[in-house]
Amino acid sequence: MNQYEVILDTMPATNDRTEILFRQAGDGFLQVEYGHEQRVELLDSFRVLAVDSKIKQQQISGLIETVPSLRANLFHFDPLLISMQELIAEIKKAEESIRGVEDMVIDSRIITLPIAFEDSQTKKAVELYLKQVRPDAPNCEGGYNLEYMAECNGCSVAEIKQMLLDTYWYNSGCGFWPGGGFFWPMDPRCKMIVPKYNPPRIWTPEGAVGIGGACLFTYTTATGGGYQLFGRTIPTFQQAMKHPQFKDKPFLYHPSGDRLKFVEVTEAELDAIYEHVHEKTDYQYDIVESKIIVKEYLEFLARPEVKQGAAEFAKRQEQGAITAPRL
Amino acid sequence: MLKIMKAGIEVLVEDWPGRLGYMGLGMAAAGAMDHLALQLGNLVLKNAPGEAGLEIAGGYCQLEFAEATTIAVCGADMSAKLNGQSIPLWEAIAINPGDQLSFDHFGQYGFRSYVCIAGGIDVPVYLGSKSTCLFGSYGGFQGRKLQPGDEIALGTATANGLAGRRINPKYLPEYTNQWELRAIPGPNSAPDYVTVAGMDYLFSTPMKISHNANRAAYRLAEVPAYFWARKDGGKGGSHPSNIVDHGYNMRGAVNVTGNTPSLLIADGPTLGGFVCVANVIQADLWKIGQGIPSRDKIKFRLTTVEEAVAARRDSLAMLAAADLIIN
Repeated sequence: MNQYEVILDTMPATNDRTEILFRQAGDGFLQVEYGHEQRVELLDSFRVLAVDSKIKQQQISGLIETVPSLRANLFHFDPLLISMQELIAEIKKAEESIRGVEDMVIDSRIITLPIAFEDSQTKKAVELYLKQVRPDAPNCEGGYNLEYMAECNGCSVAEIKQMLLDTYWYNSGCGFWPGGGFFWPMDPRCKMIVPKYNPPRIWTPEGAVGIGGACLFTYTTATGGGYQLFGRTIPTFQQAMKHPQFKDKPFLYHPSGDRLKFVEVTEAELDAIYEHVHEKTDYQYDIVESKIIVKEYLEFLARPEVKQGAAEFAKRQEQGAITAPRL
Repeated sequence: MLKIMKAGIEVLVEDWPGRLGYMGLGMAAAGAMDHLALQLGNLVLKNAPGEAGLEIAGGYCQLEFAEATTIAVCGADMSAKLNGQSIPLWEAIAINPGDQLSFDHFGQYGFRSYVCIAGGIDVPVYLGSKSTCLFGSYGGFQGRKLQPGDEIALGTATANGLAGRRINPKYLPEYTNQWELRAIPGPNSAPDYVTVAGMDYLFSTPMKISHNANRAAYRLAEVPAYFWARKDGGKGGSHPSNIVDHGYNMRGAVNVTGNTPSLLIADGPTLGGFVCVANVIQADLWKIGQGIPSRDKIKFRLTTVEEAVAARRDSLAMLAAADLIIN
């Protein structure tokens, strides 16, 4: 064991869960990670959220907050009130109380968001990046990121856009910037993977939509960022809380569980919606209350055409990953 | 009330420990970059140690007081003057209506100075804190840095006869141009993400703070190629610094994007797709706030959770010491 070892404890894999690793992450942080492999499996997220909700019900003294993500959960705690070992023991108890995720039903709203591909604002962000940060960035070939996204996945730009529109995108948990959700494709045939900017951007416009790894992010406000950009959607955050949708909180998304579906519009249509959200405050967001029935989702994943389509896409991605330049 | 006459580089309302409990919604804790100076200043004035004060980064600002009160200036020496006369740091100073408090620029040591006011600063408490999150544009005074003409309401002092109280010199923090930051490895460390040689490099090499340093992140100097134990980031992306997005152990995370490490601090991102190889312990976070961008260096020193927790206790004991304040 080297002096930099951080895995303090583990729980072995069982029939209905992967191995769980408890990684020290500071004097007030513990990262609970599911498995060793960098995998993108929504079932991991379902489990993370089930355990997270269990732990929150227990109101553990000294636990300040948790930051759930797709395959990990970060615990922020006060070590003067609860020790790392005591916290691990509490989490283990919660883990043991959760059986398989197959019987879970998850509250999951469906939010339909208009998107304009290749809009002038995200193009400007790429242009600025080339000018100010990395003039030779291979992901900005032709002044935008879509060509590179297609190349990485062994497909065409048109196919990339179609995949973005075809699948539901599931939020494993908010983070990064106020109100920002981390969305993952529910249809494995649409699971595109792209590297993140190296180094990151200094500016990204409000509403930009990007992908990094297999994760989609809608930029809530103008910020830096590292995801490949392909379009812009409507506001998902309103600091002023003027619009009725934001009257109780500035966020559009729930902390986790929401699903997004994109519909293509023109940039002019999109800009008009901005006015109706931020100025006239009369835009009607398209949000439908719904649930994910995990059993049905597993059945969808097991369909022959889904499995075969996903396997074929993975093969093309493998080729793409070899030929696309690294960042 | 106090009025901003010159706003300098960046003057903000900040408290301590900031806005805890909202990381899962993408909201960073924000808070004073040098929590030690802020807390000492408040204690001189018999305020609660975490009460909000003005955080002055870099200097070049001037304030006018419209009412009688008592203040303490703590932190970096920026040749503070009251009506043109030099005033001592770390000491309670009586203020009369019309008094002008001015700051030159930062000097040889330290980058941030704090103005604490008896009774504190009267801005709305937003989600449990008066701190400004500059990058999210919320909290503090209208969610932004202060501008000339801004009028800031002050709290009401409950104690009299404060003037002359000062910090016992034996407790004053030591300033330098090479800051030793005690850090705990994790959650991404050797052997699975970083090589042992890479971690050795991290914990033995003084790194210059880049000019690219703000309240969200302090960029440092690049790490060598042998830093990485992986050839890529798997499903997280093609660079070994990529990971399937996870919560950041923030404040204090040592986050590596591409080959560039950054310290994620007050307003930093709460979740993202890059590895975090270590965490600066809470007791040493204040030093980052005093590091001068583009000039000072930092050096990480390996420590353990046990030592870090002991350092937290020592820090609290110091703030509660019977001989902390000399009358």
